[in-house]
Amino acid sequence: MSDANTPQGIAAQLSELSPGSAVSLQMSVDSYLEVMRGVLDIFARKKDMDTIYVTATISFEAIKRVLDALDIDTSRMYFVDCISHIMMGTTAAQKDEHASLVESPTMLENIMLKVEYLIRMSPSKNKLVVLDSINSLSIHNNNWILSEFLHILVSGLRAKDAYTIILSVEEHSTPEIVNLVNLVCDQVIRIGKPGD
Amino acid sequence: MMEPRTGDRVRCATGIDGLDTILYGGIPTDNTVILTGSCGTGKTSLALEFLIHGALNNENSLFISVTENSEKLLANIIPYRFFDKDLLKSGKLVFVDLPAMYDRLGMTKAELSMEEIDLLVASISSLVRELNTKRLVIDSITSVCYKLKTPEKIRDFVLKLSKALSDLRCTSILVSEVAPHSNAYSLFGVEEAIADGIMLMSNLERRGDLLRTLQVIKMRGTMHSRAKYVLDLTPVGVLLVPLLKGGSAGT
Ligand SMILES: Nc1ncnc2c1ncn2[C@@H]1O[C@H](COP(=O)(O)OP(=O)(O)OP(=O)(O)O)[C@@H](O)[C@H]1O
Ligand SMILES: [Mg+2]
Repeated sequence: MSDANTPQGIAAQLSELSPGSAVSLQMSVDSYLEVMRGVLDIFARKKDMDTIYVTATISFEAIKRVLDALDIDTSRMYFVDCISHIMMGTTAAQKDEHASLVESPTMLENIMLKVEYLIRMSPSKNKLVVLDSINSLSIHNNNWILSEFLHILVSGLRAKDAYTIILSVEEHSTPEIVNLVNLVCDQVIRIGKPGD
Repeated sequence: MMEPRTGDRVRCATGIDGLDTILYGGIPTDNTVILTGSCGTGKTSLALEFLIHGALNNENSLFISVTENSEKLLANIIPYRFFDKDLLKSGKLVFVDLPAMYDRLGMTKAELSMEEIDLLVASISSLVRELNTKRLVIDSITSVCYKLKTPEKIRDFVLKLSKALSDLRCTSILVSEVAPHSNAYSLFGVEEAIADGIMLMSNLERRGDLLRTLQVIKMRGTMHSRAKYVLDLTPVGVLLVPLLKGGSAGT
Protein backbone atom coordinates (compact mmCIF):
# COMPACT_ATOMS: atom_id res chain seq x y z
CA MET A 1 0.00 0.00 0.00
CA SER A 2 1.45 3.35 -1.00
CA ASP A 3 2.07 5.98 1.64
CA ALA A 4 -0.80 8.18 0.51
CA ASN A 5 -3.29 5.41 1.30
CA THR A 6 -2.32 5.01 4.94
CA PRO A 7 -4.18 6.96 7.64
CA GLN A 8 -1.07 9.13 8.09
CA GLY A 9 -0.91 9.74 4.37
CA ILE A 10 -4.60 10.69 4.18
CA ALA A 11 -4.24 13.07 7.12
CA ALA A 12 -1.10 14.61 5.62
CA GLN A 13 -2.89 15.41 2.35
CA LEU A 14 -5.80 16.97 4.23
CA SER A 15 -3.52 18.97 6.48
CA GLU A 16 -2.14 20.87 3.54
CA LEU A 17 -5.55 22.39 2.85
CA SER A 18 -6.69 25.63 4.39
CA PRO A 19 -9.85 25.95 6.51
CA GLY A 20 -12.94 26.33 4.35
CA SER A 21 -11.73 23.74 1.85
CA ALA A 22 -14.05 21.14 0.43
CA VAL A 23 -12.63 17.75 -0.41
CA SER A 24 -14.01 14.99 -2.54
CA LEU A 25 -12.64 11.86 -0.96
CA GLN A 26 -13.07 8.87 -3.24
CA MET A 27 -12.34 5.56 -1.66
CA SER A 28 -12.87 1.89 -2.18
CA VAL A 29 -15.05 -0.03 0.25
CA ASP A 30 -11.97 -1.65 1.76
CA SER A 31 -10.35 1.65 2.68
CA TYR A 32 -13.14 2.76 5.03
CA LEU A 33 -11.25 2.07 8.24
CA GLU A 34 -8.06 3.78 7.04
CA VAL A 35 -10.09 6.79 5.99
CA MET A 36 -11.86 6.93 9.37
CA ARG A 37 -8.58 6.85 11.21
CA GLY A 38 -6.92 9.34 8.91
CA VAL A 39 -9.80 11.83 8.90
CA LEU A 40 -11.42 11.52 12.32
CA ASP A 41 -8.46 10.59 14.44
CA ILE A 42 -5.28 12.06 13.00
CA PHE A 43 -6.54 15.04 10.95
CA ALA A 44 -9.31 16.26 13.29
CA ARG A 45 -7.08 15.92 16.33
CA LYS A 46 -4.15 17.65 14.71
CA LYS A 47 -6.33 20.66 13.86
CA ASP A 48 -8.07 20.55 17.24
CA MET A 49 -11.51 20.36 15.63
CA ASP A 50 -15.00 19.26 16.52
CA THR A 51 -16.36 16.95 13.86
CA ILE A 52 -19.88 16.89 12.52
CA TYR A 53 -20.46 13.54 10.91
CA VAL A 54 -23.45 13.21 8.61
CA THR A 55 -24.38 9.60 8.09
CA ALA A 56 -26.78 8.34 5.48
CA THR A 57 -25.19 4.90 5.38
CA ILE A 58 -25.45 3.24 8.78
CA SER A 59 -26.82 4.46 12.10
CA PHE A 60 -24.66 6.75 14.17
CA GLU A 61 -24.65 4.10 16.88
CA ALA A 62 -23.10 1.60 14.50
CA ILE A 63 -20.45 4.13 13.46
CA LYS A 64 -19.69 4.88 17.07
CA ARG A 65 -19.18 1.17 17.70
CA VAL A 66 -16.75 0.99 14.78
CA LEU A 67 -14.83 4.00 16.06
CA ASP A 68 -14.76 2.63 19.59
CA ALA A 69 -13.35 -0.59 18.25
CA LEU A 70 -10.65 1.39 16.45
CA ASP A 71 -10.02 3.23 19.70
CA ILE A 72 -10.88 6.56 18.12
CA ASP A 73 -12.11 9.19 20.55
CA THR A 74 -15.70 10.28 19.75
CA SER A 75 -16.11 12.85 22.51
CA ARG A 76 -15.72 15.70 20.03
CA MET A 77 -17.90 14.17 17.37
CA TYR A 78 -21.49 15.12 16.66
CA PHE A 79 -23.69 13.03 14.39
CA VAL A 80 -26.43 13.95 12.00
CA ASP A 81 -28.11 10.64 11.42
CA CYS A 82 -30.55 10.54 8.54
CA ILE A 83 -30.95 6.81 8.28
CA SER A 84 -31.92 5.47 11.72
CA HIS A 85 -35.36 6.97 11.56
CA ILE A 86 -36.37 5.22 8.37
CA MET A 87 -34.63 2.00 9.32
CA MET A 88 -36.06 1.40 12.76
CA GLY A 89 -38.21 4.33 13.79
CA THR A 90 -37.42 6.64 16.65
CA THR A 91 -35.11 5.23 19.28
CA ALA A 92 -33.30 6.42 22.34
CA ALA A 93 -30.85 8.02 19.93
CA GLN A 94 -32.90 11.19 19.99
CA LYS A 95 -31.86 11.74 23.55
CA ASP A 96 -28.16 11.46 22.76
CA GLU A 97 -26.60 14.89 23.04
CA HIS A 98 -24.18 14.01 20.31
CA ALA A 99 -26.74 12.96 17.75
CA SER A 100 -29.46 14.71 15.82
CA LEU A 101 -31.84 12.60 13.84
CA VAL A 102 -33.18 13.69 10.49
CA GLU A 103 -36.39 11.88 9.65
CA SER A 104 -35.37 10.87 6.17
CA PRO A 105 -32.38 11.19 3.84
CA THR A 106 -34.73 12.96 1.43
CA MET A 107 -35.01 15.87 3.85
CA LEU A 108 -31.80 17.43 2.61
CA GLU A 109 -32.74 20.86 3.92
CA ASN A 110 -33.07 19.42 7.39
CA ILE A 111 -29.61 17.89 7.09
CA MET A 112 -28.26 21.38 6.34
CA LEU A 113 -30.20 22.81 9.26
CA LYS A 114 -28.81 20.24 11.72
CA VAL A 115 -25.29 20.84 10.46
CA GLU A 116 -25.81 24.57 10.86
CA TYR A 117 -27.12 24.05 14.37
CA LEU A 118 -24.18 21.89 15.42
CA ILE A 119 -21.71 24.34 13.88
CA ARG A 120 -23.24 27.10 15.96
CA MET A 121 -23.14 25.00 19.11
CA SER A 122 -19.53 23.99 18.64
CA PRO A 123 -17.08 26.06 20.62
CA SER A 124 -14.03 24.91 18.65
CA LYS A 125 -12.44 27.36 16.27
CA ASN A 126 -11.97 24.94 13.41
CA LYS A 127 -14.69 22.56 12.38
CA LEU A 128 -14.89 19.53 10.19
CA VAL A 129 -17.99 18.25 8.42
CA VAL A 130 -17.92 14.74 6.96
CA LEU A 131 -20.63 13.54 4.62
CA ASP A 132 -20.90 9.73 4.53
CA SER A 133 -21.67 9.24 1.76
CA ILE A 134 -22.87 10.84 -1.42
CA ASN A 135 -23.71 7.38 -2.75
CA SER A 136 -26.07 6.66 0.13
CA LEU A 137 -27.78 10.01 -0.38
CA SER A 138 -28.08 9.28 -4.09
CA ILE A 139 -30.17 6.19 -3.38
CA HIS A 140 -32.84 8.50 -1.98
CA ASN A 141 -32.41 11.67 -4.03
CA ASN A 142 -32.08 12.57 -7.68
CA ASN A 143 -28.90 14.17 -8.99
CA TRP A 144 -30.46 17.61 -9.53
CA ILE A 145 -31.47 18.03 -5.94
CA LEU A 146 -28.22 16.48 -4.70
CA SER A 147 -26.16 18.92 -6.69
CA GLU A 148 -28.17 21.83 -5.39
CA PHE A 149 -27.80 20.48 -1.86
CA LEU A 150 -24.02 20.11 -2.15
CA HIS A 151 -23.68 23.55 -3.62
CA ILE A 152 -25.57 25.27 -0.80
CA LEU A 153 -24.04 23.11 1.91
CA VAL A 154 -20.46 23.58 0.74
CA SER A 155 -20.72 27.31 0.11
CA GLY A 156 -22.26 27.78 3.55
CA LEU A 157 -19.50 25.79 5.22
CA ARG A 158 -16.82 27.52 3.22
CA ALA A 159 -18.12 30.86 4.47
CA LYS A 160 -17.79 29.52 8.01
CA ASP A 161 -14.26 28.29 7.38
CA ALA A 162 -15.22 24.70 8.10
CA TYR A 163 -13.59 21.81 6.31
CA THR A 164 -15.99 19.68 4.29
CA ILE A 165 -15.14 16.13 3.32
CA ILE A 166 -17.55 14.35 1.01
CA LEU A 167 -17.05 10.62 0.89
CA SER A 168 -17.81 8.61 -2.19
CA VAL A 169 -17.40 4.90 -2.56
CA GLU A 170 -15.96 3.94 -5.90
CA GLU A 171 -17.77 0.63 -6.14
CA HIS A 172 -21.14 2.40 -5.76
CA SER A 173 -20.43 5.49 -7.79
CA THR A 174 -21.34 6.62 -11.26
CA PRO A 175 -19.48 9.20 -13.34
CA GLU A 176 -22.38 11.64 -12.81
CA ILE A 177 -22.13 11.40 -9.06
CA VAL A 178 -18.37 11.79 -9.10
CA ASN A 179 -18.83 14.85 -11.29
CA LEU A 180 -21.39 16.56 -9.18
CA VAL A 181 -19.23 16.14 -6.09
CA ASN A 182 -16.04 17.25 -7.78
CA LEU A 183 -17.81 20.32 -9.10
CA VAL A 184 -18.25 21.77 -5.60
CA CYS A 185 -14.92 20.60 -4.20
CA ASP A 186 -11.51 22.29 -4.24
CA GLN A 187 -9.61 19.06 -4.04
CA VAL A 188 -10.06 15.45 -5.03
CA ILE A 189 -8.29 12.76 -3.02
CA ARG A 190 -8.41 9.16 -4.16
CA ILE A 191 -7.73 6.42 -1.70
CA GLY A 192 -7.31 3.44 -3.95
CA LYS A 193 -6.61 -0.20 -3.53
CA PRO A 194 -2.94 -1.08 -3.59
CA GLY A 195 -1.57 -0.82 -7.12
CA ASP A 196 -4.40 1.47 -8.20
CA MET B 1 -45.44 57.70 5.55
CA MET B 2 -43.82 60.33 3.36
CA GLU B 3 -40.38 58.77 3.27
CA PRO B 4 -38.99 57.86 -0.11
CA ARG B 5 -39.09 54.15 -0.86
CA THR B 6 -35.54 53.93 -2.08
CA GLY B 7 -34.59 50.73 -0.36
CA ASP B 8 -32.31 52.75 1.88
CA ARG B 9 -34.69 52.69 4.82
CA VAL B 10 -33.24 52.22 8.27
CA ARG B 11 -33.55 48.56 9.25
CA CYS B 12 -34.72 46.83 12.33
CA ALA B 13 -32.54 43.73 12.17
CA THR B 14 -34.60 40.81 13.42
CA GLY B 15 -31.44 39.16 14.76
CA ILE B 16 -32.44 35.98 12.95
CA ASP B 17 -29.57 35.69 10.46
CA GLY B 18 -31.41 33.88 7.71
CA LEU B 19 -34.38 36.22 7.90
CA ASP B 20 -32.22 39.34 7.86
CA THR B 21 -30.55 37.99 4.73
CA ILE B 22 -33.95 37.40 3.10
CA LEU B 23 -34.91 40.98 4.01
CA TYR B 24 -31.64 42.56 2.86
CA GLY B 25 -30.81 43.57 6.41
CA GLY B 26 -34.04 43.51 8.36
CA ILE B 27 -37.56 44.89 8.58
CA PRO B 28 -37.65 48.56 7.56
CA THR B 29 -38.19 50.40 10.84
CA ASP B 30 -41.72 51.50 11.75
CA ASN B 31 -43.23 48.83 9.50
CA THR B 32 -46.18 46.82 10.72
CA VAL B 33 -45.74 43.25 9.56
CA ILE B 34 -48.22 40.40 9.57
CA LEU B 35 -46.64 37.09 10.56
CA THR B 36 -49.11 34.51 9.40
CA GLY B 37 -49.43 30.76 9.33
CA SER B 38 -51.46 27.82 10.50
CA CYS B 39 -51.13 26.43 14.01
CA GLY B 40 -47.80 25.10 15.18
CA THR B 41 -45.75 26.57 12.35
CA GLY B 42 -43.49 28.56 14.70
CA LYS B 43 -45.02 32.04 14.66
CA THR B 44 -44.79 32.66 18.38
CA SER B 45 -41.22 31.36 18.55
CA LEU B 46 -40.06 33.59 15.72
CA ALA B 47 -41.84 36.63 17.14
CA LEU B 48 -40.32 36.06 20.58
CA GLU B 49 -36.87 35.73 19.09
CA PHE B 50 -37.34 39.04 17.27
CA LEU B 51 -38.09 40.69 20.61
CA ILE B 52 -35.26 39.05 22.54
CA HIS B 53 -32.69 40.16 19.98
CA GLY B 54 -34.14 43.66 20.14
CA ALA B 55 -33.96 43.72 23.91
CA LEU B 56 -30.39 42.41 23.86
CA ASN B 57 -29.64 45.24 21.46
CA ASN B 58 -31.00 47.72 23.98
CA GLU B 59 -34.31 48.31 22.19
CA ASN B 60 -37.32 48.15 24.47
CA SER B 61 -39.48 45.26 23.41
CA LEU B 62 -43.09 44.50 24.22
CA PHE B 63 -45.08 41.31 23.80
CA ILE B 64 -48.84 41.70 23.98
CA SER B 65 -50.30 38.28 24.47
CA VAL B 66 -53.90 37.60 23.62
CA THR B 67 -54.14 33.83 23.61
CA GLU B 68 -51.52 32.40 25.97
CA ASN B 69 -50.56 33.76 29.36
CA SER B 70 -47.11 35.22 29.81
CA GLU B 71 -45.93 32.49 32.13
CA LYS B 72 -46.50 29.81 29.57
CA LEU B 73 -44.65 31.90 27.01
CA LEU B 74 -41.72 32.36 29.32
CA ALA B 75 -41.42 28.63 29.63
CA ASN B 76 -40.97 28.59 25.86
CA ILE B 77 -38.17 31.09 25.69
CA ILE B 78 -36.07 30.03 28.64
CA PRO B 79 -34.45 27.22 26.61
CA TYR B 80 -33.11 29.82 24.18
CA ARG B 81 -29.38 30.02 24.53
CA PHE B 82 -29.34 33.76 23.97
CA PHE B 83 -32.11 34.54 26.44
CA ASP B 84 -31.09 36.50 29.50
CA LYS B 85 -33.46 36.74 32.48
CA ASP B 86 -32.13 40.21 33.26
CA LEU B 87 -33.99 41.48 30.20
CA LEU B 88 -37.21 40.98 32.15
CA LYS B 89 -35.92 42.58 35.34
CA SER B 90 -34.55 45.60 33.53
CA GLY B 91 -37.81 46.05 31.64
CA LYS B 92 -36.14 45.70 28.24
CA LEU B 93 -38.55 42.87 27.53
CA VAL B 94 -42.10 43.30 28.80
CA PHE B 95 -45.07 40.95 28.61
CA VAL B 96 -48.62 42.23 28.82
CA ASP B 97 -51.76 40.11 28.72
CA LEU B 98 -54.44 41.72 26.59
CA PRO B 99 -57.37 40.10 28.41
CA ALA B 100 -56.23 41.95 31.55
CA MET B 101 -56.22 45.15 29.53
CA TYR B 102 -59.76 44.46 28.28
CA ASP B 103 -60.86 44.08 31.90
CA ARG B 104 -59.19 47.28 32.96
CA LEU B 105 -60.85 49.15 30.12
CA GLY B 106 -64.21 47.57 30.93
CA MET B 107 -64.45 45.87 27.54
CA THR B 108 -66.51 42.95 28.68
CA LYS B 109 -68.81 42.49 25.72
CA ALA B 110 -68.14 39.93 23.04
CA GLU B 111 -68.08 42.56 20.33
CA LEU B 112 -66.23 45.86 20.59
CA SER B 113 -67.89 49.10 19.48
CA MET B 114 -66.17 51.69 17.27
CA GLU B 115 -65.48 53.80 20.39
CA GLU B 116 -63.95 50.83 22.14
CA ILE B 117 -61.70 50.21 19.16
CA ASP B 118 -60.40 53.75 19.45
CA LEU B 119 -59.91 53.27 23.16
CA LEU B 120 -58.01 50.01 22.59
CA VAL B 121 -55.71 51.61 20.01
CA ALA B 122 -55.16 54.57 22.34
CA SER B 123 -54.31 52.25 25.25
CA ILE B 124 -51.83 50.21 23.25
CA SER B 125 -50.28 53.42 21.90
CA SER B 126 -49.90 54.97 25.32
CA LEU B 127 -48.32 51.78 26.62
CA VAL B 128 -45.86 51.86 23.73
CA ARG B 129 -45.15 55.52 24.40
CA GLU B 130 -44.70 55.01 28.14
CA LEU B 131 -42.37 52.07 27.71
CA ASN B 132 -40.61 53.68 24.75
CA THR B 133 -41.18 50.45 22.88
CA LYS B 134 -39.17 49.97 19.69
CA ARG B 135 -40.34 46.44 18.92
CA LEU B 136 -43.84 45.16 19.46
CA VAL B 137 -45.50 41.82 18.95
CA ILE B 138 -49.24 41.19 19.26
CA ASP B 139 -49.95 37.46 19.38
CA SER B 140 -52.40 37.16 17.89
CA ILE B 141 -54.18 39.92 16.04
CA THR B 142 -56.68 37.29 14.88
CA SER B 143 -57.91 36.86 18.44
CA VAL B 144 -58.50 40.60 18.66
CA CYS B 145 -60.30 40.53 15.31
CA TYR B 146 -62.72 37.93 16.64
CA LYS B 147 -63.98 40.66 18.96
CA LEU B 148 -64.45 43.05 16.05
CA LYS B 149 -66.56 40.79 13.86
CA THR B 150 -67.08 42.98 10.78
CA PRO B 151 -64.46 43.65 8.06
CA GLU B 152 -65.11 47.40 8.44
CA LYS B 153 -64.20 47.34 12.11
CA ILE B 154 -61.17 45.17 11.52
CA ARG B 155 -59.96 47.49 8.78
CA ASP B 156 -60.50 50.48 11.04
CA PHE B 157 -58.64 48.85 13.94
CA VAL B 158 -55.64 47.62 11.96
CA LEU B 159 -55.29 50.91 10.08
CA LYS B 160 -55.41 53.02 13.22
CA LEU B 161 -53.12 50.70 15.12
CA SER B 162 -50.44 50.50 12.45
CA LYS B 163 -50.56 54.27 11.92
CA ALA B 164 -50.20 54.88 15.66
CA LEU B 165 -47.32 52.40 16.01
CA SER B 166 -45.54 53.76 12.98
CA ASP B 167 -45.87 57.32 14.32
CA LEU B 168 -44.32 56.11 17.56
CA ARG B 169 -41.38 54.66 15.54
CA CYS B 170 -42.20 51.18 16.64
CA THR B 171 -41.53 48.17 14.41
CA SER B 172 -44.33 45.69 14.91
CA ILE B 173 -45.18 42.10 14.19
CA LEU B 174 -48.84 41.17 14.28
CA VAL B 175 -49.30 37.43 14.45
CA SER B 176 -52.15 36.13 12.34
CA GLU B 177 -53.66 32.67 12.37
CA VAL B 178 -55.01 30.99 9.27
CA ALA B 179 -56.40 27.57 8.49
CA PRO B 180 -53.80 25.08 7.15
CA HIS B 181 -54.84 25.13 3.51
CA SER B 182 -56.18 28.63 3.29
CA ASN B 183 -55.02 30.82 0.43
CA ALA B 184 -55.50 33.98 2.44
CA TYR B 185 -52.95 35.51 4.77
CA SER B 186 -55.51 36.42 7.38
CA LEU B 187 -58.78 34.99 8.54
CA PHE B 188 -60.77 38.04 7.53
CA GLY B 189 -58.71 39.00 4.49
CA VAL B 190 -58.46 42.58 5.70
CA GLU B 191 -55.28 42.83 7.79
CA GLU B 192 -53.02 41.63 4.99
CA ALA B 193 -53.95 44.47 2.64
CA ILE B 194 -53.16 47.12 5.23
CA ALA B 195 -49.93 45.71 6.64
CA ASP B 196 -46.54 46.86 5.33
CA GLY B 197 -45.31 43.33 5.20
CA ILE B 198 -46.44 39.72 5.18
CA MET B 199 -44.32 36.79 6.30
CA LEU B 200 -45.89 33.39 5.81
CA MET B 201 -44.99 30.28 7.79
CA SER B 202 -46.34 26.96 6.62
CA ASN B 203 -45.93 23.23 6.40
CA LEU B 204 -44.90 21.92 3.03
CA GLU B 205 -45.42 18.34 2.04
CA ARG B 206 -42.92 17.03 -0.46
CA ARG B 207 -43.20 13.41 -1.47
CA GLY B 208 -44.28 12.38 2.00
CA ASP B 209 -41.88 14.61 3.93
CA LEU B 210 -43.24 17.50 5.96
CA LEU B 211 -41.04 20.59 5.99
CA ARG B 212 -41.58 23.84 7.91
CA THR B 213 -41.24 26.81 5.60
CA LEU B 214 -41.06 30.58 5.71
CA GLN B 215 -41.64 32.98 2.85
CA VAL B 216 -41.72 36.76 2.75
CA ILE B 217 -44.71 37.68 0.58
CA LYS B 218 -44.35 41.44 0.77
CA MET B 219 -42.30 44.01 2.63
CA ARG B 220 -42.71 47.68 1.88
CA GLY B 221 -39.56 49.76 1.87
CA THR B 222 -37.11 47.06 0.89
CA MET B 223 -36.22 44.45 -1.65
CA HIS B 224 -36.53 40.92 -0.39
CA SER B 225 -36.26 37.34 -1.47
CA ARG B 226 -39.58 35.86 -2.46
CA ALA B 227 -38.32 32.30 -2.28
CA LYS B 228 -39.42 29.67 0.20
CA TYR B 229 -37.02 28.75 2.99
CA VAL B 230 -37.05 25.70 5.21
CA LEU B 231 -36.71 26.40 8.90
CA ASP B 232 -35.91 24.68 12.14
CA LEU B 233 -36.73 25.88 15.65
CA THR B 234 -33.68 25.28 17.82
CA PRO B 235 -32.24 26.44 21.14
CA VAL B 236 -30.08 28.88 19.14
CA GLY B 237 -33.21 30.23 17.51
CA VAL B 238 -34.79 29.97 14.09
CA LEU B 239 -32.43 28.59 11.45
CA LEU B 240 -33.20 28.90 7.76
CA VAL B 241 -31.97 27.33 4.52
CA PRO B 242 -33.32 27.72 0.99
CA LEU B 243 -35.90 25.17 -0.10
CA LEU B 244 -34.21 22.95 -2.68
CA LYS B 245 -35.93 22.99 -6.03
CA GLY B 246 -34.30 19.98 -7.64
CA GLY B 247 -37.08 17.76 -6.31
CA SER B 248 -39.72 19.54 -8.35
CA ALA B 249 -37.76 18.76 -11.50
CA GLY B 250 -38.92 15.21 -10.89
CA THR B 251 -37.09 11.93 -11.22
N1 LIG C 1 -36.74 26.41 20.28
C1 LIG C 1 -37.48 25.36 19.93
N2 LIG C 1 -36.90 24.17 19.72
C2 LIG C 1 -37.62 23.11 19.37
N3 LIG C 1 -38.94 23.13 19.18
C3 LIG C 1 -39.59 24.27 19.36
C4 LIG C 1 -38.90 25.46 19.73
N4 LIG C 1 -39.79 26.46 19.83
C5 LIG C 1 -40.98 25.90 19.52
N5 LIG C 1 -40.87 24.61 19.24
C6 LIG C 1 -41.97 23.70 18.88
O1 LIG C 1 -42.61 24.17 17.71
C7 LIG C 1 -44.00 24.17 17.84
C8 LIG C 1 -44.62 25.41 17.27
O2 LIG C 1 -44.09 26.55 17.86
P1 LIG C 1 -44.93 27.89 18.06
O3 LIG C 1 -45.75 27.82 19.29
O4 LIG C 1 -43.96 29.00 17.96
O5 LIG C 1 -45.89 27.91 16.79
P2 LIG C 1 -47.16 28.82 16.53
O6 LIG C 1 -47.25 29.00 15.07
O7 LIG C 1 -47.11 30.03 17.37
O8 LIG C 1 -48.33 27.88 17.02
P3 LIG C 1 -49.82 28.27 17.48
O9 LIG C 1 -50.61 28.40 16.24
O10 LIG C 1 -50.22 27.08 18.27
O11 LIG C 1 -49.75 29.53 18.26
C9 LIG C 1 -44.29 24.00 19.30
O12 LIG C 1 -45.14 22.90 19.43
C10 LIG C 1 -42.99 23.73 19.97
O13 LIG C 1 -42.99 22.49 20.62
MG1 LIG D 1 -48.46 30.84 18.78
